[in-house]
Formats: sequence, C-alpha cells, structure tokens
Amino acid sequence: MKKIHIHSSCSISIQPGFQEDYFFEEIAEYAENGIHAIDPDYKEFIAALQLRRMGKSMRMAVYASQKAIQNAGNPKIDAVITGTGEGCLRDSEKFVEAMWDNDGGMLNPTPFIQSTHNMAAATVALALGCKGYNMTYTNNSNSFESAVLDAILYLNENPEEMILIGGLDEISEKTLEFWNSVGYVNSNNPKIPIDFKSKSIGEVNSEGAGFFVASAEKKENSLGSISAVKTQLEVEDPEEFILEFLEENGISVSEIDVVILGNNGDSRYDGIYNDLSETVFREIPQMIYKNLFGEFDTVISIAVEIGLKIFKFQRIPFALKLNNSIKENYQKILIYNQRRNKNHSLILLEK
Amino acid sequence: MNRKPIAITGMGIISAIGNNLAENEASLLESRHGIRKYSVKDPLIHQEKLVGEILKPNEEFYSELNLNPNEAFTRSALLGLTAAKEAVQSANLDLNDGRKTGFISATTVGGMDATEKYYFDFLKSEANRKFVPTQNCGIHAEQIAQILGIKDYVTTISTACSSAANAIMLGARMIKAGILDRAIVGGADSLSAFTINGFSSLMIYSDEHCHPFDDNRKGLNLGEAAAYIVLESGKSSANKEVLGYLAGYGNANDAFHQTASSDDGEGAFLAMKTALEIAGLKPEEIDYVNAHGTATPNNDFSEGKSLSRIFKSVPDFSSTKTFTGHTLAAAGAVEAVFSLLALKNQKVFANLNWKTPMKEFDLKPQTEIKSKEIRTVLSNSLGFGGNCSCLIFVK
Repeated sequence: MKKIHIHSSCSISIQPGFQEDYFFEEIAEYAENGIHAIDPDYKEFIAALQLRRMGKSMRMAVYASQKAIQNAGNPKIDAVITGTGEGCLRDSEKFVEAMWDNDGGMLNPTPFIQSTHNMAAATVALALGCKGYNMTYTNNSNSFESAVLDAILYLNENPEEMILIGGLDEISEKTLEFWNSVGYVNSNNPKIPIDFKSKSIGEVNSEGAGFFVASAEKKENSLGSISAVKTQLEVEDPEEFILEFLEENGISVSEIDVVILGNNGDSRYDGIYNDLSETVFREIPQMIYKNLFGEFDTVISIAVEIGLKIFKFQRIPFALKLNNSIKENYQKILIYNQRRNKNHSLILLEK
Repeated sequence: MNRKPIAITGMGIISAIGNNLAENEASLLESRHGIRKYSVKDPLIHQEKLVGEILKPNEEFYSELNLNPNEAFTRSALLGLTAAKEAVQSANLDLNDGRKTGFISATTVGGMDATEKYYFDFLKSEANRKFVPTQNCGIHAEQIAQILGIKDYVTTISTACSSAANAIMLGARMIKAGILDRAIVGGADSLSAFTINGFSSLMIYSDEHCHPFDDNRKGLNLGEAAAYIVLESGKSSANKEVLGYLAGYGNANDAFHQTASSDDGEGAFLAMKTALEIAGLKPEEIDYVNAHGTATPNNDFSEGKSLSRIFKSVPDFSSTKTFTGHTLAAAGAVEAVFSLLALKNQKVFANLNWKTPMKEFDLKPQTEIKSKEIRTVLSNSLGFGGNCSCLIFVK
C-alpha cells in the first residue's frame, strides 16, 4: 500500500504543544499522577454553551482537529478516523455514580450519551458537517495505530480524499485510583520529567489528543508521511518483530535516522526498550518522549507529531535524547511502543 | 473500485433466541422471539424491563469454556468467546496453517457490567479487583484472540450501534488490501444497568414488546448477544463451503445530532448508496432488507425515509430486533448472521408485533415469515453519533 502524507497537526497534552511551532522551548514540570492536559482556549473553536457540556476528550478532539484543519489551510475534510483507549471516561463514571445515587428517578442522559467511545469522532464530524466515513477504534494502547492503519487503507481506496486522523484519551481521578489498586500507577514519587534513574514501579498517567490532516497526495507544505504501521498484541521477541517490519518495508536499521522509544519509567517494562537500545538500535540516534508527556493509550499520536517536527527542525530536542548519537539529516523515523508488554506497535515516518 | 466479493465460510452466534447458530435459526424459522422480563434482580435497575436476555449465568459460561474461575472475564467477553469459537469451528479453520488471520471485534458495553457493580467496592476489597483491568472495551478482543490463538491482527471498534457492521467492513477491506487472508469479525455486548438506564433516561426504552416501523412504536428493548462471521479471501476459501459473500459495504455519518438521526435519513442513505456501488448492484436487485429498526420513533422515521429515498419500491424488509432486542454493538453481526440465514433458507424473517402503518410513509414491513427467492440481502446498522453502516450479502 502507498504511504500517506500528513499536511498538518495539532496536539494537546501536558506540555504546551498546541502552540504552533512549539519545540520544547519550555517544559512543564509536575510532581503528581493523573496529570491533566494543559487547556488551550477552547472558545477559539467551541461555543461557550457547547463547551460547558463537553467532557475533556471531546473538547480536546474538537480543538485539536479544528486547529489541525486551520493549520492545513482549511481544506474540506472527507472522513474522520479516531482512536481512543478509554473513551469519555469521566462521563462513564458520572453515569455510574448517578445510577448508584438514584432511587428510581429520572437520570440525566447527557453523560450516558457522551460515554460512547465514538462521541469524539462524531462531534468532530458534526462540527465539520462531514458526512463521510467515520470510525472509532478502542483497542487499548493500539487504538491510535488502528486508526492509522485504517487511514492508510482508506486513502489507498479513496486517493482523492482529505481526512482527519486522531488519537485522544482523558484521565479521571476515580479510574486512576482503580488502576492504582492493581499496581499500574506510580503512586510513590511520580514526576514529570520522569527520572529514569529512580527505577520506580508504575506509570505516570496523563492525557492528551493528537490530530492530523492527511491525504494520499504530497503537497508543497506537507510535514512528512506515514509509510507503514504494524501492531501485534503479543510479541515474543521485540527485536525480531522490529527487524521483520523493517524488512517488509525494505529498509535497514542503519537507514533509520532516529528511533522514538516509549520508555515510561515503569522499570518492570522499560527493560524491553533498554534491551533494544543496547542491541539493535545501538548505533543510531535514540529518543524518548513519555518522560515529558506521561503515559496514556494514544500518547503515540504525540510521538508522531514530534517525529514530524523533527523533519521540520532537523534536530532532536535535547530533553528527549536518549543517547548522544545525531545525524546530519533526519529523513526516516521509527516509533516503537508497547504497554505492559502488550500491544506492540511500529510506525514508520518519512520526510 | 475493487468489486471482488469476500467469501463467508463460518458463523457463530449466541442471543436471546438461541445459544448457538442452530438454535437461532430454528427460532427465526418458527418466529419465536426471546423478549421477556429481565430475570436479573439488579439493585441499579428500578423498573421491570423487557429484554432479550441470554438465560445463562456467567459461571456456566466459565465452565463450558473451561476458563479459570480466578481470571476475570466480563459477560461480553464470555458471550464473544462462545460465538467466536463456534464461528472458527464452523469455518473449519486451522489457525496454525500460516495464513494471516485477524480478529476484529466490536463492543460498547465492554466491561461496564462488572465496573458498575463493583464501582464502590474496588477500593474497599480485593475480592473483585481482578475486574479493574477488564473495564475498557479493548480487553474482550485481546482475551478472545489469545484464547483462540489469533496473533496477526487484533483490534476493537466502537461506533455505538453500528460497531459490528464496521468490524465486518474492516475485515473485508483488510483482506482486499492483502493485509489479511481471513478475519473473524463481529461483536459482543452484554446487558448492563448502564445501558438499560441510559436508554431509559433518553425515554426511548419501551415498556412493551418493541414494534418497529409501527406508528405507535414506543422505543426499543435492549438485548445481549455476540456474533461473528469468518471472512476469507478467494485463495483462502478455495475448496471450502461458502455460506455467502460480502459484496458491499458503506459507512457514512449523518452529522446531524449527537443521538438523533436526521429527518431525511442522509447518513443511512449515503451508507446504502456506497454499499450498492461497491457491490455493483442496483437498488432494485436487493431482495430483502434487514433493517436497523430499533422501534424508537426517531430511528424508524429516519431509516424509513432513507429506504424510500434509495429504493423506488422498497423490497421486503423487517427488523429482527423484535426477536433479540437491540444488541447494540453486536447488532450488526447478529443481523449479518440472520442475513446469511435468510439467504440459506430463502426466507424473509418476520417483523413481529407490527399493527399500524406509520403515517408518514406507505411502508409495511414483512410481518410474517415469507418464502421467496433471495439472492441479495442488505443490512443496516445505525448508531448514536450519526454512525451509519450498511452491508450487502449475496449468494
């Protein structure tokens, strides 16, 4: 299948990345877990009345998608494809809590309506009046990747169309407590930037959204392309998984200008990345990003945006460097991710 | 456009009208529905509700499926595993023959049936904490794929009530693109207080047996179900018995309102139009429409409008939700199986409980089972968020 070209992006996260041309000039620091994304001025795109009703996922999705479209010069969007691991978590919780409080009276339906995972893609389509293809994947930490795979398929089937691809996830206090009760969360000393030397247990959980305008055709101001994506629920040998993917796409490790790894500070699983850093990726530039963005199911959408920005600025931001290796020219970027040793994924970006 | 149809070589289903394919088929042929008062006494549900319930407790599924009682499987996963196993067996699949296989599943309830129950208990006691990781939608697909041994591609789709139709569509597209040789596609949704109360809060939960496309319709009855079909490429299905072909599919968005469908049925119209184009069929070549037909005032009006727009003369149509209830994310797969059973038996299944024509249209669903030559079946799935999908099955 042919690669797809990305013309613009916008992301919302716990860093001020929604600012145009942000490239880590300032870095937000935190000493907490369950970190909320920095809010842009949503009113730029969302009427106050609507905004009040919208949960965080929907706000982030509508803002990031509208901003991405604006950044692309306001093209007409023909399809919306999103991924979200958890959906509108807070609305789901609200409705459950209301059911427990209720003695049989009428419940407010709004949180129920907004609890469906497709509500972000639907709200974006409604905001744009986009009657075309509309899809939502919710496959844990491979949700955004599933959306990307569909986007590649879709643009190969419909090469004349312009589409939106997005990933989004919100955090909520209650669910974070649940996750903490089963040992997913770093409750001891969570910090952003993550200090990898502390060898802590658990993740620093956060939230965010990344949206992209894409088409089959390259344009003058295209940021780069997504050439390939691959996901696999369980991987016995990550090195083999990676080498096979590169072979399928006809490139060698030495041709990769930087690999973006998903180390998140949970020492139980970061070893998977560390092994690769010391072996297959040893000779090439390596970087991380969850040290500044935390962990959520669709955080890889942020990694894609960072990759595209590296094409633009032609350097790796200092705060994200994992080794000292650099290249003169950044043309090919590989992103590898897994979460709790499940849902392994690879995305290949090309300038 | 790639018009090559995709072969369907297996199917599996569990719903209120049967624990397997044969039981579902018998119920449809005998016009025997599965809607009755909910047997579960759930403290979160305050009114008696008519539902399409599968009368089998979770413990029985655990033992039938040989699952470890200490592992957490929510009801959607149990239903899903039951139906997916039947589908794999009926297609006679050897999952270790080197062909690339995908598992694409749909759900909206996910693990909510457990989460709603243990919400205030998770932090207090360890007893049910094993259900914390099964809360979200993606887990059921992971669990089912792991047990079946499907490794090449696993994903979950959640587009409200059109979810399973989209899972079927994705499987077909991935096979056409050569990414997969075959795919087990469908969906699973259990009943939950969350969805029963949710649709009640929207005032679209009927206190009667639902009567789709009737002027006096009062809303839906929810149901629980899981259904999967096996899609295979021409090469992969060679020398195998083929149950039917998926010839067309379409996905569009109504972009009208968060929950309500538009008055002109534009989303459903566009989805049907695309599906017909991909199938290379004219509207008059459709022999039977298995409608979405939830029996909510809004859906049936909007879908009725879309049907009368796409068809000069609307073919025989019925909503089989009168048998199973509205099974949400699973509905598209349940009705895909029913569409294939309509092709097999050459029968239009009944739209039960219908009495009065809708005043807006001259549309009468098929109210009794009817024998006729059926070569093509069109199945609609329309959901919240304007998500509309359409599938076309042919002999």
